[in-house]
Amino acid sequence: MPNSLTKFSRRRLLATTGAVAALGGFPSIVRAQAKELVIGGAAGFAPWMNGTVSQAFEAKYKTKIVYEGSRSLVNLEKMQKNKDKQYLSAVMMDDPVMIPAVQEGLLEKMTPAMVPNLAKLRPGTVQMDGMWANYLQPWQGVAYNTKSLPAGFPAWADCYEAKFKGRLVIPSLQNTEGVANLVMAAALESGKPIDKAQYEIDAGFKKIKTLKPNLLTIYTQIPQALNLLEQGEAWAIPSMFSSNVIPKEKESPMKMAAPKEGIFVGPAGICLVKGGPNKEMALQFIDMMLGAEMQDKLQPETFAFPSNASAKAPLGLAADVKVHNLDWAFVAKERGEWVKRWDREMAM
Amino acid sequence: MKAAAAARSPWRDPVIWLAVPAIVYLLVLYALPLLWLLTKSFIGPGGFTLRPYIDFFADPFNWRVVWNTLGIALWVTLACLIVGYPAAFALARAGAALQIAMLIAIILPLSIGVVVKAFAWQIVLRRDGVVSQLLVAVGIWDEPQRLLFTEPGLVLGAANIFLPFMILPIYSVVKLIDPRLLEAGATLGAAPLYRFVKIMVPLTLPGVVSGVAFVFSMSVSMYVVPSLLIGDRFQTLSTLTGRSFLFMRNEQLGSTTAVILLAMAVGVVVGSTWLARRLGGST
Repeated sequence: MPNSLTKFSRRRLLATTGAVAALGGFPSIVRAQAKELVIGGAAGFAPWMNGTVSQAFEAKYKTKIVYEGSRSLVNLEKMQKNKDKQYLSAVMMDDPVMIPAVQEGLLEKMTPAMVPNLAKLRPGTVQMDGMWANYLQPWQGVAYNTKSLPAGFPAWADCYEAKFKGRLVIPSLQNTEGVANLVMAAALESGKPIDKAQYEIDAGFKKIKTLKPNLLTIYTQIPQALNLLEQGEAWAIPSMFSSNVIPKEKESPMKMAAPKEGIFVGPAGICLVKGGPNKEMALQFIDMMLGAEMQDKLQPETFAFPSNASAKAPLGLAADVKVHNLDWAFVAKERGEWVKRWDREMAM
Repeated sequence: MKAAAAARSPWRDPVIWLAVPAIVYLLVLYALPLLWLLTKSFIGPGGFTLRPYIDFFADPFNWRVVWNTLGIALWVTLACLIVGYPAAFALARAGAALQIAMLIAIILPLSIGVVVKAFAWQIVLRRDGVVSQLLVAVGIWDEPQRLLFTEPGLVLGAANIFLPFMILPIYSVVKLIDPRLLEAGATLGAAPLYRFVKIMVPLTLPGVVSGVAFVFSMSVSMYVVPSLLIGDRFQTLSTLTGRSFLFMRNEQLGSTTAVILLAMAVGVVVGSTWLARRLGGST
C-alpha cells in the first residue's frame, strides 16, 4: 500500500509539474511569439527598418520587429534551409530572387482581402498574381561627380562619348542594378523603346562593348564605386541606385541625374513566407509597408519611388520623368547566360 | 632489436600527443570540408564524372582565367623576391635597435586587414596618387596616369601585402649564415659578385624557396585584393570560384575551380618543399 501511494504521488507530482508547465510556460511561448516578428531584408535597410518602421509597427501592434539584414540570396537560402520550419515571417528582397522562391514554393500568395493596400498600388507593382509586391523602389539614374561634371549628366547616350575615357564605373551584371545599363544599351543600339529593347540583348551587348574604353572599372561592391566617384577618379556611375547617392549629396560632391531617356525603378519586393510564424501579424506588416502613410514617411530616408498610388511624388524627381519597369521574370531566366557572356565580352 | 625499434618510434614519445588537438581541429574544420569540396566536383547526376573538368578546360575563356591567375601570382612573387631579398639581408645585418624597428615595420602591417590595405592602395594608385606623381617627378611618365584597375597596379598592391611573407623566411636563413664565410671567400681572392653568387645565393636558397612558396600560394588564391584593385573585368580562379558559389549558385563549377586552384597551390608548395630539402642537403 505505501508503495502504491508512493507511485501515485510521483505520478501526481509529474502531472502537477506538467500542468504548471502547461499553464505557466506555454502562454509565455505564445506571448513571445505574439510579440516578435522576424523580418528578412537587405543589410542596407537596417537603419530605417530598425528606426521608423520598427517604431511605427511596435506602437500600433505592440509587436517588436526583429530585422535580419543580409543579401537577397542569403534570405532565399534561409527560407530554403528552413522550409519545414520557417522562422522568418516576411521577407523583403529583389524581384529576381523572388522568382526562384516562388518556384520552390517558399512564398504564400497574398490577396487584397489579406493585404488591403495591395489594391491601392500602381500598375505593374503586384507581381505573379500577388506572390509579392513592390513597396519602395529605389530608382536608377546616373550618379555623377559635381566637380568633374558641373553641367550634370543629361543623357544615358552621353556615356559613350570619348570625353569619358577611363572615367565611368558601371555595375557588374551580377548586381541587380547592372541590368539597366545593358537594357539602355539595347535601346540605344536598336532604336526601340525600353519595354521592347529589353528583349534585344544581342543589340545591348553590341553597344555596351563599345563602352569599354570609357570604363574605369566594373564594380560588384557599391561602396567601392561610390568611393571612386567621391574622390573624382570616376566621373559618373550609370544606373546607380538613388538610395545610395541622394543621402550623400549634401556632404559629398556627387548627385543623382534622371537623364532624358528616363529612369529605371529597382525591383524591391516584399513577400509573405509560406508556413512562417505569426502570419496575421506578418500580413499587417506587409500592409503597413505598402500603405501610403509609411511610404511617405520613408521617402526622406530611402529616396525611393513609392508603389502606392496615393503616396506623395518621389523626392528630387520631375513630375514628368519617364519611368521604366523591367521584365524581371525574363531577366531571371536569362541572366546566368548573360553573366557568362558579360565576363567574356567585357573582360580587360 | 624490436625493443630498439620501439624505442625509436616517434609514437613512444609522449610529446607527439600534444599535436592531437591541432590535428583534430584541422581534420574537422579543414580536411573534411575540403574532402566534401573535392567530392562535389567529381559527382554528377549519374555518379562519378570528369565532365566538369572537361567542360572547364574546353572553354578558352577559362584558360585565360587560369593564365591570369598564374601570371599575377608569378609577377607578385617576383616583385616580392626582388624587394624582399635585399631587405632580408639588411634586417639580418642591422644593429639590435634598428633590427627591432625594421621587424616592427614588417610585422605591424600584418595586423591591418587586407580590405583596409586594398582601399589604401586605391588612393595610392589613383591618377593623382603618390605613385603617379613620383613617376612623373622622376621623368618616367610625361603626365599623370592611372595605375588603379590595371595589372601593374594589382601587382604593386598585392606585393606590398605579401612582402613580409617573403622577407621573414629569407631573414631566418640569412641570420644563421656565418659572415666569416664571405670573408674567407675574399681572402681566397673571390670578387664580391662571385662571392655573392657562389656563397650567399646557395646558402639562402632554402629561405627563398620557402618565401616563394608562401607568397605564390597566397597570391594565386587571393580574392579580396583583385576584387578591389582590378575589379570584375579581370577574372582569376578565386573570383570565378566566389562568383560560382555566391551568384551563379553553380556549386559544381565552384568546386571544380577551387580544386584546380588547390592543385596549383599544392603543386607549388610540394615542389618548393622538395626543392628546399634538396638544396638544404646540398649546401
